[in-house]
Amino acid sequence: MANTPTTLPPTIPLTHTIKQNLFSSPFNTLVTLLTAAFFITITYKFVDWAFISSIWSTEDEPLCKEATGACWSVIDARHRIIFFGLFPYEEHWRSTLACVVMIATIIASCVPWFWSTAKLSTLWLLGFCTFYILMHGGLFGLSVITPERWGGLALTIFIFAAVSIIGMPLSIVLALGRRSKLPVIARLFGLFIDFFRSLPLLTILFTAAVITPFLLPGWLQGDKLYRVIAGFAIFFACYQAENIRAGLQAIPPGQDEAGLTLGLSYMQRVTRIQLPQAFRNSLPAIVNQFVITFKETSIVTIVGFFEILASGSAAFGTGKWTVYYIEVYVFIAAIYFIFVFSLSRYGAYLERKLRVGHG
Amino acid sequence: MVDQSNSDIPAVTMTQVNKWYGDFHVLKDINLQVADGEKVVVCGPSGSGKSTLIRCICKLEDHQRGTINVLGTELNDNIANIDEIRREVGMVFQQFNLFPHMTVLENCTLALTLVRKKSRKEADAIAMQFLKKVRIPEQSTKYPGELSGGQQQRVAIARSLCMNPEILLFDEPTSALDPEMISEVLDVMVALAEEGMTMVCVTHEMGFARRVADRVIFMDEGEIVEQNSPQEFFDNPENERTKLFLSQILQH
Ligand SMILES: Nc1ncnc2c1ncn2[C@@H]1O[C@H](COP(=O)(O)OP(=O)(O)O)[C@@H](O)[C@H]1O
Ligand SMILES: [Mg+2]
Repeated sequence: MANTPTTLPPTIPLTHTIKQNLFSSPFNTLVTLLTAAFFITITYKFVDWAFISSIWSTEDEPLCKEATGACWSVIDARHRIIFFGLFPYEEHWRSTLACVVMIATIIASCVPWFWSTAKLSTLWLLGFCTFYILMHGGLFGLSVITPERWGGLALTIFIFAAVSIIGMPLSIVLALGRRSKLPVIARLFGLFIDFFRSLPLLTILFTAAVITPFLLPGWLQGDKLYRVIAGFAIFFACYQAENIRAGLQAIPPGQDEAGLTLGLSYMQRVTRIQLPQAFRNSLPAIVNQFVITFKETSIVTIVGFFEILASGSAAFGTGKWTVYYIEVYVFIAAIYFIFVFSLSRYGAYLERKLRVGHG
Repeated sequence: MVDQSNSDIPAVTMTQVNKWYGDFHVLKDINLQVADGEKVVVCGPSGSGKSTLIRCICKLEDHQRGTINVLGTELNDNIANIDEIRREVGMVFQQFNLFPHMTVLENCTLALTLVRKKSRKEADAIAMQFLKKVRIPEQSTKYPGELSGGQQQRVAIARSLCMNPEILLFDEPTSALDPEMISEVLDVMVALAEEGMTMVCVTHEMGFARRVADRVIFMDEGEIVEQNSPQEFFDNPENERTKLFLSQILQH
């Protein structure tokens, strides 16, 4: 032993690990084989349905009745409805561009270089203005298209982005308010948060869309879309505030005391010491809330907006396409998957990045 | 730097200070004066109120009766006073309390840029100067979690020194350390003492107390029971409680 030339730990061969974990007993082996068979069958069936035996173009639609695979003709023929909803046909380029701008803004704000209040606010102001001008028009010779006619992917992404960007700062304020040293303030914020968390999102959106017009003066009402986004953002913020608060709670009190003795002000301690650590502490929950929110955007259908899921239903709603709803839903699921999966992977990347030096 | 006119004002004056946690009387009629440049060591059994005492000096805790005067400014509810005091009083904690999400250098420069309004470059230079002083400049790009306890505590001392404090408070700075790391921290504290820093240290390191303290204070049950020069304090303790305490910590 004393003469061992290396100090590296012994390496365990992969085959050994596999054998240990999957084939250690006859029963274990049986379970492994059955599970493998199950997944291979499922995967093969899906690949065959989606890619091998499938029909792809609009013209080939008559072949679909004979085919055993998916009939992607419906997507080929109706994808514009799915992506753009009721947006006027000849203006679809505007919606496409607006989508690209919004996605670019979201991606840019995920890059650490942009993480300062000044840069982020500039970025989002630019992003939203460009989006609005493109979608709404009325400037630069673009025809006016009111939000009732916005739809599809552009609307889904817009609602998600707007809810996040209004909801995030609000959630921080709510979380800090609930932790205030003044009992009255803490109670009030606590009540506010718990009130909105106790209501179904549906109720909040319905109230925002249908009931608030009776309560608010005309100049404060804004468009139905903005009221719905405001309601959604408050709902989001109340949940996110609790995630952030959990993260704040986990910070040892000594951190704030160290900041105090260095002479840092409340705002400086919050932005430099507390929030960075709170975000790190509850990152999984925070990302989870974004994921849920992206998927929940589909609920705005209820108050009359054609986000991507509703536009999808419209896509197979007429004529010969009615039988191909499965293809449409699979297609929309794939779109959701791309966004939500990217979001989750980004969350995992952040966790790795923020864990630097924390063992 | 201390103004010449300032040097005859005591660093800390506590007069009849009383504090309660609920109905638990934690500080009882504390009278304490620390002169400019003086080094005071505070010891006493666990729970006797030592931490509370020095936390009152930098206003991490409020006292309910009596007055505390730091560098000629009274600690009351006046926000401006509190801010002024906190800029002049540094504190080193038992648990280091370094900011885990910042590098060693960032820990040191944070308050320099935010409170002292130094430029990034100036702040870096000052921080490196103090990291050299605590003999740890080569770790400046690491995160606290990558350092040993002794190294972390030295960084914490450097972080306080960056603010150029008039008074440095230590709350059991070596109690959370493995035995072999205690001396590297004490060495830094001895060096500071020799440079004339005003220091109030809660510690049970009797060697350190003998070497640098001008005065040792013994606290028990929220009271200052006895205070004396280290020589007298350790060799001829007067009070029974002091004798008992000393026999307990010197036993092993
Ligand atoms: N925040 C607090 N609330 C209530 N009691 C406290 C608090 N902090 C300290 N105490 C109590 O006050 C007493 C003195 O505490 P402390 O000053 O930390 O003692 P020491 O530092 O001498 O061990 C202890 O009995 C402790 O339990
Ligand atoms: Mg203590």
